[in-house]
Amino acid sequence: MIATIPSAVLIGVDGKHVSVEVHVSNGLPGFTMVGLPDAAVRESRDRVRAALLSSGLAWPLRRVTVNLAPSGMRKGGAGLDLPIAVGLLVASGELDPGTVTGMAFIGELGLDGSLRGVPGTVVLAEALGSHVLVVPEVGACEAGLWGDHPVRSAPTLAILVERLLGHQPWDQPVPPHPGTCPAPGDRPPGGSASRHGDLSDVQGQRLARRALEVAATGGHHLLLVGPPGSGKTMLANRLPDLLPALERSTALEVSRVHSVAGLPLPPGGLMVRPPFRSPHHGASPVSMIGGGTTWMRPGEISLAHGGVLFLDELGEFPTVVLDALRQPLEEGQVRVSRARGSTAFPARFILVGAMNPCPCGEGGAPGWCRCSESARERYARRLSAPLLDRFDIAVRVDRPDVDDLMDGTPGESTTVVAERVVATRRMAARRHVLTNSELPGATLRSDAPMSAAASKLVELQMRSGMLSARGLHRVHRIARTIADLEGADDIEASHVYEALLLRCRRDLLLGMEQR
Amino acid sequence: MTRVDDCLVHAAALAGLPGITPVRLVSVMAGFDPVEAWTALVHGRHPADPDRRFGAAARATDPAEVGERYRRAGVQILLPGAEQYPSMLVDDPGAPAVLFAHGDPSVLEGRPRVAIVGTRSATPYGRQVAADLGRDLAFSGVVVVSGLALGIDGAAHAGALQVAEGEGAPPVAVVGTGLDVVYPSSNARIWDEVVARGVVLSESPLGTQPLPKVFPARNRIIAALSDVVVVVESHHGGGSLYTVDAAARRGIPVAAVPGSVRSRASEGTNGLLVDGCIPVRDATDVMVAISLARSGRDAPAPAQQAATLVAARGKRAMPPVGTVGASPGVANGTPTPVISEKGRSVLGAVDDTPTLFETILLRTGLAIAEAAQGCDELVASGRLLAGAGWWSKQQPGRSGAGEAAVAPTNRG
Repeated sequence: MIATIPSAVLIGVDGKHVSVEVHVSNGLPGFTMVGLPDAAVRESRDRVRAALLSSGLAWPLRRVTVNLAPSGMRKGGAGLDLPIAVGLLVASGELDPGTVTGMAFIGELGLDGSLRGVPGTVVLAEALGSHVLVVPEVGACEAGLWGDHPVRSAPTLAILVERLLGHQPWDQPVPPHPGTCPAPGDRPPGGSASRHGDLSDVQGQRLARRALEVAATGGHHLLLVGPPGSGKTMLANRLPDLLPALERSTALEVSRVHSVAGLPLPPGGLMVRPPFRSPHHGASPVSMIGGGTTWMRPGEISLAHGGVLFLDELGEFPTVVLDALRQPLEEGQVRVSRARGSTAFPARFILVGAMNPCPCGEGGAPGWCRCSESARERYARRLSAPLLDRFDIAVRVDRPDVDDLMDGTPGESTTVVAERVVATRRMAARRHVLTNSELPGATLRSDAPMSAAASKLVELQMRSGMLSARGLHRVHRIARTIADLEGADDIEASHVYEALLLRCRRDLLLGMEQR
Repeated sequence: MTRVDDCLVHAAALAGLPGITPVRLVSVMAGFDPVEAWTALVHGRHPADPDRRFGAAARATDPAEVGERYRRAGVQILLPGAEQYPSMLVDDPGAPAVLFAHGDPSVLEGRPRVAIVGTRSATPYGRQVAADLGRDLAFSGVVVVSGLALGIDGAAHAGALQVAEGEGAPPVAVVGTGLDVVYPSSNARIWDEVVARGVVLSESPLGTQPLPKVFPARNRIIAALSDVVVVVESHHGGGSLYTVDAAARRGIPVAAVPGSVRSRASEGTNGLLVDGCIPVRDATDVMVAISLARSGRDAPAPAQQAATLVAARGKRAMPPVGTVGASPGVANGTPTPVISEKGRSVLGAVDDTPTLFETILLRTGLAIAEAAQGCDELVASGRLLAGAGWWSKQQPGRSGAGEAAVAPTNRG
C-alpha cells in the first residue's frame, strides 16, 4: 500500500515542498530511502523505528520504500522524521488515509516518540500554505506566523496518533499573530526592559550620544573611534533599544532568517525587536556572509537584518571579511552562491564599528600616541577606503571627563531618546523611505531642500576642497536627519555644521591633523 | 682613470660590501690606501679580515661598475683628507671612513651650524617651533643640520627652505639610507630642495634601505657636524636622544625646547632641561648658545653677524626674532574675518595642548551645532587646527609647517 504525505525542507532561507511517498509491500523485510537524502535524513530510519516502537505502534516487518519527491533535489535536516513515520502508519494500515487528508507534517522524532522542533519552521510552514499543518508543540507559534492556515500540534507521536484518530481533542488552535505585532514604527513591546543597559548609564559623551541618536534615526552607519575604556562598546550596545519596533513585513523576514539559522524566536514567534549581532573579530567570511556545505546558513549580516551589526575592534577583523561586507551594505541583501545553487539572504542593517585610533590605542591627541607614523598608517590602511566610505558618521569617543563622571546627573534615558527616534522616523516616511540614509542621491535636492544659508555653507566647503561630491550627499542626508530631529522643514546652516562635524573622515583614524 | 678617482671608486666599493658596518669599514681602511685594501681583501691577505669574510664578495664586485653607478647618480665620494670632506669630522672619533654627498658639501665650511632634531610623531606645536627655528636660524646665516625624518626634522628643513635662495644659509641633511633611497617618501620635495641648495650627506652606500640600525649611526654625524644640538620635541627614551648622547660625548652643547608637562611628546625634552640643557624659546636663544660654543674657536663669533642680519630682516618685513607670533589679528596679510560669539567662546575653551570636542562642549556650554560652527569658523580663519576629533591653537599668521614657499608677511 502507498501513502503520500506532504512536507517541506529548507533550501537556503526558503522552504521547498517535498512529498514523502511511503510504499509498503510484501517481500524481505527492509527499508530503502531514495530521493537524494543527506546523512541526517538517512538516519531518520532508526529514529522513526525507535519512536514507533516506544509509542506502542508497530514497525511493519515488510519491505518499505520511502521516496522523497522531487527526487532531483538534495534534502537535508531531520524535519522529515514525522512525515515518514506518519506515512509508514498510513501505508501499513495502522491509520486510515482519510484521517490525514489535506494535512502536512513537519517534525523531528526522539527515540522515546517525542516531537522536536525544526529550524526554519516559519519558512517551512510558508511552503505548505494550503495544508493543515501539523508540527511539534514547540514550533506551533512559529508555524502560525505565516498567513492564517490552520496549525495543529502535539507533544509526542502517540498523542498525535490519538488525535488523528479523533480519540483526543486537538489543542486550542494557535491564534494567528497579527495581534502581537505592534503597529509599524512603535516602540517595541517590553521596550523598557532593555537588553543591554540604559542609555542613561553613559556619563557625559554628548557628542557620541548625539551621533548614536542621529544614526538610530536616519539609519546611518556609525563608526566609533577612541582609546580603550572610552565606552565605545557601551554606546553601541545601547543602539538597538533606540530603534523602533520592526514593521510586520520586516519582522517576518527577520523571523524567517532567525528560524532558518535555528536560533530561538521570542515567545509568540515573531521577532519585533531589532536584532543586535556582535560577532567576534575571529569571524570567518562564511560565518559573516552566510553559506555552508550541506545547508546554507545565513551569516551574521543576515541575522542582523533589520537591526544592528556591531563590529567591535574593527581593525582586527580580517580584510577579506571586511571587504566582503561592502556589496551587501550597498544592496541590502547578499547572494551566496555554491556549486549546488545560490540563495539570497536579506542583509539590511545599521553597521556600527568600533576601533582604536592606532595600535597603542591612545591615538588622537598628538603627543600621547607612541606609535610610529608608519605603524599608524598601517593600522589605518586595514580598513579599505571603499569600506570606510560606507560609514556615514564617525565620531571620536574619549574617556569621560572626571568632572562628568563625578557630576552624576544622568543623561537622557533610552526611553526618552527612543520616543524621539520613533517620532522623527515618521517624518522620513513622508519622503517615502524608511530612513533618510535611503534617500536617493538624484532626488536629494528636491526631497530635502536646503535653506539659502545652508547651501552657501555647503558651496563654500566644496570650493575650499574640504568636501567632496561624495561627501556632499552624505552630509546632506545626515543634515536632513538632524533637521528632522530638530523638527525643521528645511535644512538650516546649523544642521549642516553639525553634519560636517559628524560625517566620517579618514583622518579620524590616523590621529593626525588634517592636511 | 686617475689615481685619485681609483681611490674613491674603491672606497665606495668597500663601503658597499655586504655585512660591512661603519666600524668595520674604518678598520678595513685603516693604514691602507683604498685600492690596496681592496686588493688585500680580494686576495684574502687583509689583516683586518682574518677569516676572509669579505674576500668572496669583493671578488664578485667590479669597482669600476660601482664607480659608474655613483657617477650616474651624481653622488660625490668623500674621503677623510680630501678637501671636500667636512673639516669638523676630520678629528672626530666616530668619523665615517667614507662619506657620500649629493649637493655641495662646502656649504658646511665657515658658517655656524645647528642641528635641529626631534620626534617623528610631533605635535603641531613641535612642528611649528621647529619650522620657526629653522627659518629664523637659516635667515640669520646658521646652517640647519637635520635628518630629513618625519615630524620635527622635516619641519625644521621646511622652515629653513622658506628663506629665499641665496639669502641666509643653505640647509644640510644627514640621512641614514643610501642617497638614491628617498625616505620617507613624503619628504621627497624637501629632499630635492636640500640637494639643490645645500647638501644631503650619508655614510651608507647607494641602495641602502631604511633599516632601523642606520638611523642611530646617522645621528652621531648630525651631532658631530653641529656647534649646538637643539631638540624640539622628544618622547621619553626617543631616538633623538641618541643625537644628544653623541653630542654630549663630543662636548657639543645640547639645547632643548620646553613643552607642556602634560604632553608626552615633550617628556624627553623637559627631562633634558631638568638635566641642565640650555632652554630654547626662539632663534635668539640658539644664537647665544652658538656664539658661546664657538667663542674661543677659530670662526668669527656669529652674534655680531646675527645682529646685522636681524636688522636687515626689517627690510624683508619679517618679524624680528623673539617677537614671533606676538601680534595676532592679521593672518597672511589679509584682515581676519570677523569671528562670531560662538567662535570666541570656542577659542577661549581651546588649550595650548590639543583639546577634544567633548571638552570644548563642556567648557563653553554650547550646543553641538553651535560649537561645530565655532570650530569651523576658526579653522577657516586659520586660528585653529582641526585634528582627529580634537582641535588645537594655530600660531597666528602661520601656515602649516609643511609649506615651504611662503609669501612674506606684512608684519614687523
